[in-house]
Amino acid sequence: MREILRWLARLSPIFVLLLVWEAVALAGLVKPFLLPAPHAVAGRVWHDLASGQFALNASLTLYRALVGFVLACVIGVPAGILIASERWVRWLAEPLISVGFPMPKIAFLPVFMLWFGVYDLSKIVMVCFAAIFAVVAAAEAGTRGVDKFMLWSARAMGASRADVFREVVLPAAMPQFLTGMQIALPVSLITAVAAEMLMGGAGLGGAMLAAGNYADSPGVFAGIVETSVVGLVAVAGMTALRRHLLRWHAEFNPRG
Amino acid sequence: MSKSGFGIEIEGITHGYVPRSGKPTVALDNVSLSIAPGEFHALLGPSGCGKSTLLFLIGGFQKIQQGTIRTARGLVSEPGPDRGIVFQNFALFPWKTVIENVRYGLEKKGIKGSEAEQRAKHYIDLVHLSGFEKAFPTQLSGGMQQRAAIARTLAIDPDILLMDEPFGALDAQTRRIMQEELLTIWRGTGKTVVFVTHDVAEAVFLADRISVMSARPGRIKRLVSAEFNRSADPTIHKSPAFNDMVEQVWEMVRDEVDQARAQGH
Repeated sequence: MREILRWLARLSPIFVLLLVWEAVALAGLVKPFLLPAPHAVAGRVWHDLASGQFALNASLTLYRALVGFVLACVIGVPAGILIASERWVRWLAEPLISVGFPMPKIAFLPVFMLWFGVYDLSKIVMVCFAAIFAVVAAAEAGTRGVDKFMLWSARAMGASRADVFREVVLPAAMPQFLTGMQIALPVSLITAVAAEMLMGGAGLGGAMLAAGNYADSPGVFAGIVETSVVGLVAVAGMTALRRHLLRWHAEFNPRG
Repeated sequence: MSKSGFGIEIEGITHGYVPRSGKPTVALDNVSLSIAPGEFHALLGPSGCGKSTLLFLIGGFQKIQQGTIRTARGLVSEPGPDRGIVFQNFALFPWKTVIENVRYGLEKKGIKGSEAEQRAKHYIDLVHLSGFEKAFPTQLSGGMQQRAAIARTLAIDPDILLMDEPFGALDAQTRRIMQEELLTIWRGTGKTVVFVTHDVAEAVFLADRISVMSARPGRIKRLVSAEFNRSADPTIHKSPAFNDMVEQVWEMVRDEVDQARAQGH
């Protein structure tokens, strides 16, 4: 009970924002077309939920975002480890990453549409491409940052080099791997929605694009709310996963 | 474990490295040293004198460039469970509990199941960590983490125990207690210990013999026989003989510390 109260208190800034917004809308200070009232937006969200539109669009967006994200992790973590461990791979990869990291990845969407068509594949490749840089960079930093003395300890206890990699390097770098994934997950969702908004069709982004084209303000705002909630849930899931995997880590074991 | 009449024979070790930005540096210059089996030997010197480098070479963690190091198992070329090591920063595996850390080396030796469990418990008990078997290292104080690291290393029953300023990160009281306990354990196991420190009193208190090392390039400047480790008498620190010895060794180290400071350490 106390927990719930504390949690509600934590959300109070959002309630205040909604109240102000509702008051502004009810007072007629702005046209509903420019800024629909929260209750109108909530009504639309409810309608989307009841009609199954939300489930359809959200699952489609999540499918694209998560497949792209998982691909980014499956390719990106080994790539980061390889870059950290092999000098010549690092020599090849470092300039590419330096150029690629700050680049607006969404600019590649037309290229991917050309190569992979206008359906799911191009969007998934787009997501993977946008998300992979954070995964690679964090995996590289994590692998390189493993305490040398920990590796030596393992060797002195009779571990082979292969043992050391599997039993020491991977778990020791795990927090960084997860950090990369935690950055990549929201990037994946953002990129999936952005790609949908640029390409149209089904999905949360496509629905917002359609609503915008029909001058349907509540529809656009409803889409924003729905996208935020999906993102919030996904990020919370990732945080829970981190908490579970890193039970041993200092960040979850504050010393009294 | 068969005991041979062999400790550590270090012959003509010269070791250099090139720092990221700077000219090649000689860390160790023609160091030769013979450590008897069962001896508690301290490597004492200012920071940058190469004492840790020498320890790491004995451990086989760094490639020997010139000279040889020989133990009962032959020439040292890579790390092995005959030479256990304890680091200043503990280097425990933080994702493993205390007992899992201690069991790691045992499992590498092929000791599994209840026997590994029993042996791990024995060594955890030996370092007074009973009751903390299931704790993660991050939940323990520095002193307790170092106890766990020592238990982990003792559990693989190495002939030689290498210690790189193992109590350097601990507060003064904990350090004193750990020193006394280490002596008790050492006396119980009869292992050859090589103990790196820059703390003169620690070296005098613990070691049979002390190699006083010079500032870079590291050489063994003096070999001192200390005689204060025959009893783990906590009052020894107050005795005049002990303090004379510390003063005497400190005089040898002082010049080197000044020189090391001039070199920018």
